Amino acid sequence: MNVIRNTRDVVGQPTPLIDGIEKVLGQAKYTADLPAGDALVGRILRSPFSHARILRIDTEAARALPGVRAVITGADCAFTYGVLPIAMNEYPMARDVTRYRGEPLAAVAAVDEKTAEQALRLIRLEVEELPGYYTAAEARAPDAVLLHANKPGNLEREVHHRFGDVEAGFAAADLVREQVFHCAEIAHAQMELNGALVDYDAARDHLTIWSTTQVPYYVHLMLARCLEMDMSRIRVVKPFVGGGFGARVEVLNFEIVTALLARAAGSKVKMQLSREETFLTHRGRPDTEVRLKLGMTRTGKLTACAAEVVQRGGAYAGYGVVTILYAGALLQGLYQLPAIAYDGYRVYANLPPCGAMRGHGSVDVRFAFEALLDSMAADAGLDPFAVRRANLLHAPTETMNGLRVESYGLDACLDWVERASGWHDRRGKLGTGRGLGMACSHYVSGAAKPIHWTGEPHAVVHLRLDFDGGITLLTGAADIGQGSSTLMAQAAAEVLGVRLDRIRVVAADSMLTPKDNGSYSSRVTFMVGNATIDAARALRAVLVAAAAERLGAPAEDIDCEHETFRAAGSEGPGLSFADAARAALAREGGAITAKGSFTCPVEFQGGKHKGGAVGATMGFSYAAQVVEVAVDLDTGMVAVERVWVAQDCGFAINPLAVEGQMQGAVWMGMGQAVGEETRYERGLAVHSSLLDYRVPTILDSPPIALHIVESIDPNGPFGAKEASEGALAGFLPALTSAIADAIGLRVDTLPVTPDRLLEALAKRQRERRLARALEGAA
Amino acid sequence: MELLPDFRVATPVSIAAALAAGKRHPGGRFVAGGTDLMVNLRHGIGAPTALIDLRAIPELRGIASGTGGMSIGAAVTLAELAAHPAVAAHYPAVAAAAAAVGAPAHRAAGTVGGNLCLDTRCMFYNRSAWWREANSFCLKHEGDTCHVAPTGKRCHAAFSGDLAPALLVHDAAVEIAGPDGLRRQPLADLYAEDGAAHLRLAPGEFLVRVALPPDPWPSAYAKARARGAIDFPLAGVAVALRRDGDTVAGLRVALTGTNSRPFLLEGTAALLGAAVDAAWRDRLGKLVQKQVLPMRTTLLAAQYRRRVASALAQRLAGALGGAAD
Repeated sequence: MNVIRNTRDVVGQPTPLIDGIEKVLGQAKYTADLPAGDALVGRILRSPFSHARILRIDTEAARALPGVRAVITGADCAFTYGVLPIAMNEYPMARDVTRYRGEPLAAVAAVDEKTAEQALRLIRLEVEELPGYYTAAEARAPDAVLLHANKPGNLEREVHHRFGDVEAGFAAADLVREQVFHCAEIAHAQMELNGALVDYDAARDHLTIWSTTQVPYYVHLMLARCLEMDMSRIRVVKPFVGGGFGARVEVLNFEIVTALLARAAGSKVKMQLSREETFLTHRGRPDTEVRLKLGMTRTGKLTACAAEVVQRGGAYAGYGVVTILYAGALLQGLYQLPAIAYDGYRVYANLPPCGAMRGHGSVDVRFAFEALLDSMAADAGLDPFAVRRANLLHAPTETMNGLRVESYGLDACLDWVERASGWHDRRGKLGTGRGLGMACSHYVSGAAKPIHWTGEPHAVVHLRLDFDGGITLLTGAADIGQGSSTLMAQAAAEVLGVRLDRIRVVAADSMLTPKDNGSYSSRVTFMVGNATIDAARALRAVLVAAAAERLGAPAEDIDCEHETFRAAGSEGPGLSFADAARAALAREGGAITAKGSFTCPVEFQGGKHKGGAVGATMGFSYAAQVVEVAVDLDTGMVAVERVWVAQDCGFAINPLAVEGQMQGAVWMGMGQAVGEETRYERGLAVHSSLLDYRVPTILDSPPIALHIVESIDPNGPFGAKEASEGALAGFLPALTSAIADAIGLRVDTLPVTPDRLLEALAKRQRERRLARALEGAA
Repeated sequence: MELLPDFRVATPVSIAAALAAGKRHPGGRFVAGGTDLMVNLRHGIGAPTALIDLRAIPELRGIASGTGGMSIGAAVTLAELAAHPAVAAHYPAVAAAAAAVGAPAHRAAGTVGGNLCLDTRCMFYNRSAWWREANSFCLKHEGDTCHVAPTGKRCHAAFSGDLAPALLVHDAAVEIAGPDGLRRQPLADLYAEDGAAHLRLAPGEFLVRVALPPDPWPSAYAKARARGAIDFPLAGVAVALRRDGDTVAGLRVALTGTNSRPFLLEGTAALLGAAVDAAWRDRLGKLVQKQVLPMRTTLLAAQYRRRVASALAQRLAGALGGAAD
C-alpha cells in the first residue's frame, strides 16, 4: 500500500546516519556528557543480601553528614513500577523484602562523590535473612519460600498452548527425537553505562529527566506513577544513547530513584552507574532450559512439535510474561508446523531481573529447534537445506496461533547462503576440525498489540514547515544508534520529493514531540516509518494544492521531484520547492503542521487464545545463515572463520544501516554462542565487568558476507520490515551445526566455552571407551 | 567505577630520588603504566598515600643488546618490547608474551616491570568494595577465609602476568633497587607460591632492569584465553628448547596463570637426549599436569586450565623440537 513511487531517490540508497557526524567527531552528547552545572551527585545503596526481610534502615548518620542533601529509602516510595500493567511488582527501592544482591535499598544525593559514598557507608541495615534461590529448580522446590506471596511455586507465569493434534502428528512421523538444551543467561553489555540527570524545579513542581532510555514514554508514565505527579509536570528527554538491545525498554530503578532524589533535595541530581551497577540492573536474556520434541517424515516434513521451556527470570516480573509467551508463540511463523504443544514456565529466583533482549523470547528456543532439526536431518540422511525447504510457508498465510505472514523471503535467503558458502562442495569436506553449519530464524516487526491500550494510533509523526523552507520532523521515536531518525528523514524526503538534508529530525523530547511507545520489538521502522509516510503525504497534499494553484493545473496532475513541482506532461520550469512552500504558507495561514499516524489493524493483533497477542505482528523478517568454524581439539577453542547471512527485511530503506544491523545481530548471536554468560556466586554477580563478561573482541570476529532479500511486504513502509533482530537467533544453531560437521560432536549447552567443549570431548571419549569395553566383554 | 582514594603523585627522575620518595611515603606505591594498580584502587583495594611514578627514571628505560645479552628497562612498555626487532629475533617467546598481554591500549601503557610485579588475581578478589564486603571479604584482603579453598590456610589467587614465563625460560635475572642499594638475582627468586604474598620485594624496593643472557635457545610462548585479546592467561606456557640433531639437548618450560607464581617446570632433565615424538610429548604433558595447581580462581573451570597448560606445552615443544609425527 505504501509503494508510492517507482523511481526512488532517497529510500533504498545507502545513507550515512544523519547524526553520524557528531558521533564520529566525539561531539554527540550522551547523558553523562550533558552539562550538569552544580548538580548533586546521586549514589545508590545496594542490597548485599540475596533474600532478606528488611527490619530497619537507619539513615540518621548519613543525613547528618555535612554535604548530604537527601537520603531516601523504600519508605519514600510506596508505588510499584513495571512495564506490564498486569505485573508491576517492583519498588524503586526495596520495601519490606529485598530479593537480590544489588537491589537498591536507599539512595543519597550529596554535594560531591566522596560525600555521597561516605554517606552510603553510614547507612545501617537490619535484616532477617531468608533462603536464596539461584536456579529455577531450587525456586520451584515444593518447600521453597515464596519470593512474592501471590505467586505460588515461585512461578511468575505458566503457559500451556495446544494447536493442532500433537499426538497424531507424532504418530504420523517417521522420526521422533527429544532433547534438552540449555542456554546461559546473557546480558546486553551495551557500551554506554546507565545514568540519568534529573532537574527538579521546586518552585514550579516541574521535573525534567534526561536518561539512557529506549522508551521515554514508559519512563514518563512510571515517573508520574511513582512520584504521584501530573504527567504535564514531567518532561522526558532522550539524549544520544549508546546502545540499547532491550536493556532499556522498560523504566529502570535508577531513573525513578534519581527523580525521587532530585525532588527530595529540591534540586538537580546526576546519577552515573558503574559498569557493575549497570550489569546489576540487568534485564537480559534469562537462563533457559528447553525440552524439545520434534516429529518428522522421511522426506523431512515436520509433523509435530512439543516444547517445554523453563526461564529463570530473576527477582521481579519485568517483561517476564511476554518473554515466556514469545518463547512459545515464535515457534511458529518460520516453518509449516501442523501441531504444537507448548508449556512455558517463568520462574522467580534471587537474581537481578531479566527482561527483553534482542530477539526477545525467541532466541534460545530457536537454537533448540534448529539444532534438533539439524541432527534429525543427519539421522534421516537429509541435507539441512532440504529439510528447511520441505517446511516453507507460503505467504500470505496465517499460522495456527493467529500470526499473519504477508511476505516471506526465507526461500531466497536459503538459496543465497547455500550458494555463497559453497555448501554442497564444502560441507563435510573441510577436514578434521573444520566445518560448516546452517540455520534459519525470524523476528517480528513490532508487537501489533500495544502494551497500554489507549485507543490512540501505534505511532504519530508531525512535520512542520515554516518560512525558512526547512521541514522539521517531530517524532517520539528513540534513535538508540539503530538509525531510526535517518530512516524517518529518508521516508519523508522520498514522499515529498525533497533533498534529505531539508528534513531535520527532532526526536524524543516529550515537550516537543508526539508520543511514541519506544524503540523495542523492532517496531519503529514499520510503525513510525508508516506514520512518517502518512505525515509526508499530508504535507505533500498541502504543497501540491498550493503549487497547482500557482501552476494553473489540477492538483492530481502535480508531482514533486528533485524539489520542483510540475504538472504531468508539462515542459515548463515548474515551481521550485521554496516558491511552493511560500504559496502554501500564504494559503494555509502561516506555519504548517502536518500529522501522520499508523495503526495496526485489529486482524493483525493476534489469536484469540490467552496470551495470543504476543508474537503477533504485521510482518516477520526472515534470515538464513551459514557459519564456518575451526575447532582446536587441544585447547577447545572454537574460531568462527566466516559467516554468510541473508535476511529478508522486506525492503532496505537504508541498505547501509540494514547491513550494519545484520552484522550486529550475527555478532551478538556469536557472543551468546561462544562466550557470553552471566555467572553468580550465591547470587553475587561475578560477570559484572567487561573482563569477566566475555563479549567477543575484534580478533574473534569473522568476516560476514551479507545479502539483503527484499520481499516487499504489502503493509510495510515502502515494503520494509524489521532488519535488526531476525538474524541473531540463527547464529547459535548454525554454530553448533558447524561444530558437529567439524568434530562430530553435538553441543546442547551454550555458550560453547573452551572448558565446556574439552569437557564434552573428554566425556565422549569416556563413553566410547566404555562402549568398546562393553563390546569386548560381550 | 569507584572513586579513587586521595593520594599525591611523585615523579622522580633518578633511582635515588625514587628511593627517597619511597622513604618519604611509607604508605605509597610505585607505579608505571598503572593498568593493574589503578583498577584495584578503583575497587577499593588499598589506599596508598602516594603514587611514585617510575617512568621518568633513565635507568629504567630502553632496551640494550650486546655480546652480554640483552637488558630491558623495567619502564619499557609492553608495546615497545613486542615491537623490538632484536627481541623478536632472539627471544621470540618474550616478544610473543608481550604482544599477548591485554589489548593494544594496555600494552601502550603497561610496562615490563608492571607485568612482572602484577598482583595475583582471583574471582573473589578482583571485585568492587561492595561485592567483596557482601562476600565477607577474603583471605587476600581484609578477610580471613579463602573462598576458593575455605578449609585451607593460604590464598590461591593466581599469578597472571604473561611476561614472566617467557623470561624464565631464557634464564632472566632482575636488577632491584632498594634502600640497601642495587642487587641482582634470578627472576625465579622474585616469586613465592602464596597468592597473598607472591612477590619477594621488600618495602621500598622496585625493579630496575631485566637481564637476558646471550646465545638464547629457540623459544615460544602460548596463552590460553577465551578471547583473542584482553583476557589474562587461563594458562600461559613458555618453552625454550635446544636441539642437538634430532634430540633435545636443552629444555626449559615455564608456566603462568595456573599457580600463585610463575614457575619453571621441574624434572625436564629426564626429557633430554630423546627425540620429540608422541611419547615424549605425552611425558612432558604429564609433567605439566602434575606441577600446575589451578584452583577455582577464574570463571573457566580449573580442570580446563590444567588440561590446556599441558596441551600448549606439548604443542610448543613439538614445534620447537621438530616433531616428526
